[in-house]
Amino acid sequence: MAASLPQRFKVDFDPNSQIFSLAGTIRPRSIDEIAESIHALREAIDTVRGVLYIDVKRLIQMNNTAFQAFIRVALDACRERSDLRLIVVTSSVVSWTTRMFRHLSTIEPQISVEVYDSMFYPGQDYFEDTSFIPILRAQTKLTWRHERTILPRHGMRPGIAVADICCGIGDFAVLAQKEFQPSRIVALDHSKPSLAYARKVAAEFGVTGIEYTYGDASEMLLEDNQFDFVSCRHSLQVFNQPELLLKELYRIVKPGGRVYITNEKNSHCLGEPRAQSIQWTYNELARLLSNFEIDVEFGPKSRRYLADTGFDDILVESFMVTNLDGDPQDFADIIAGWEKMFADMAVRHGETPEFIERFRQGFRDHIFAALHPKGYAGWPIWAASGRKPL
Amino acid sequence: MGASVNKTTETAFEPLLQFDMEMEDFLSDWHHCDHVSSYLARMISHNRTDPVRHSNFFSSALNELLEVSFRGGTTDGKIGLSIYRQGATERVQLSFPCPPGQARFYREAVSKTRESDAQARYLDAISNDLAPSRESVLLDLAVNYDARLRLDEDAAPAITLIVDLPLEGMVS
Repeated sequence: MAASLPQRFKVDFDPNSQIFSLAGTIRPRSIDEIAESIHALREAIDTVRGVLYIDVKRLIQMNNTAFQAFIRVALDACRERSDLRLIVVTSSVVSWTTRMFRHLSTIEPQISVEVYDSMFYPGQDYFEDTSFIPILRAQTKLTWRHERTILPRHGMRPGIAVADICCGIGDFAVLAQKEFQPSRIVALDHSKPSLAYARKVAAEFGVTGIEYTYGDASEMLLEDNQFDFVSCRHSLQVFNQPELLLKELYRIVKPGGRVYITNEKNSHCLGEPRAQSIQWTYNELARLLSNFEIDVEFGPKSRRYLADTGFDDILVESFMVTNLDGDPQDFADIIAGWEKMFADMAVRHGETPEFIERFRQGFRDHIFAALHPKGYAGWPIWAASGRKPL
Repeated sequence: MGASVNKTTETAFEPLLQFDMEMEDFLSDWHHCDHVSSYLARMISHNRTDPVRHSNFFSSALNELLEVSFRGGTTDGKIGLSIYRQGATERVQLSFPCPPGQARFYREAVSKTRESDAQARYLDAISNDLAPSRESVLLDLAVNYDARLRLDEDAAPAITLIVDLPLEGMVS
């Protein structure tokens, strides 16, 4: 049945940041089975001065036997040391942890409990703003024209188990389900408004069977080796630690399965006429976003990142979304959305009014090129995938 | 209390699945609690609003119930687990044979989960006890999972714990 579910958990103490972390599934029959971990917590408490963070964000399961054993150590330590403060950090993703650990602050004033549920990455408030939803829809509409033919080369096929991580408003999952009829499809994102929108759209269109789930892509509840195909589109580039995400994608894909990623290289966006203005703005865009730890030049780096994560049989290709992919107005609408969002970020970063005006002009010129009867406007994307070794 | 089942409410719950196992086999490996709870939670959660998180939450509660039966059950007979659904609530019906005289213990423990001082009892237990008792585990379900528990003793010496878990609303 579920013989592949091992008793698995990890305990770690970082003395520099004074963080003791518990991760995985901890369901012992007796305290003896976790004696070493209990001892590690005692040692961590003895080591620290002031505050010890107890990080349970990645704690997937813990039974009462383990819970009570760990909190016993924490409560005893607080009673012995008035200088000690313990901060338990739970995740908004794992419902039971917050409900169980919240009592500690009631029992012991030296313990506080914090729920980690925002700012999973530096540019999150921009990309998860609901005003960005129409842009995301338009982007997927245009990229799908290319990806539907690209995907089979990267392992997508009917009847397989698929996960779309950082699914946003879930439109890619809907399109993938319609086109490829996977046996199972999970779509995970950290934006509750985006997921609410995704569920609403799916319900309105009578699409069933997509398992939309709220989660942090760098610390997912999904079990190991579950999926034949895992996609993560336009997301590694906006996370400040893409290697953490890739490690998680690697973990959940089955041996022999593939992880498919798409990313941009925004400095290669182009247009004619007004090429120079367009080029300047997109070069500046890459520079601006690097200040927010966002790497919109990630695309060609995909091969290296996949290899460093441990994937083999790596495939990389690129495609250009252009104003000739259907209605040019769709392309123009995307650029208009970018202009607003990225100009807001430039303001936030403290750029001068002169810079912002010139910066905006490049986007407007890109729109001009897209809508020009003889114009050409492009947005290049790198699609890459790697196989998890058998 | 346990024997007086409200038939109107009972029929409103839709059966989702039933699981039976020889108690001797179940008690042969502690990890059965983890495996069964994880597997069944995923099965019944697939059509919840957030299947992954519902499954995680439900597995957590179900595992505690299975651990109660593991620690308190005897080898003669079967463990029976039925799961039902009504709206946002899953009902877990867990039957297992237990030693004579234990029914009274469970009757009192279940009764305490429905008293007004359930939370205070729970906090007292986790503040002071070295290891969880079966009573504090049932209090945990009431306090942390908003579970409503009752006991059915119709099939003595087996007992049946009936636990309503309104987790869908808490997850979503």
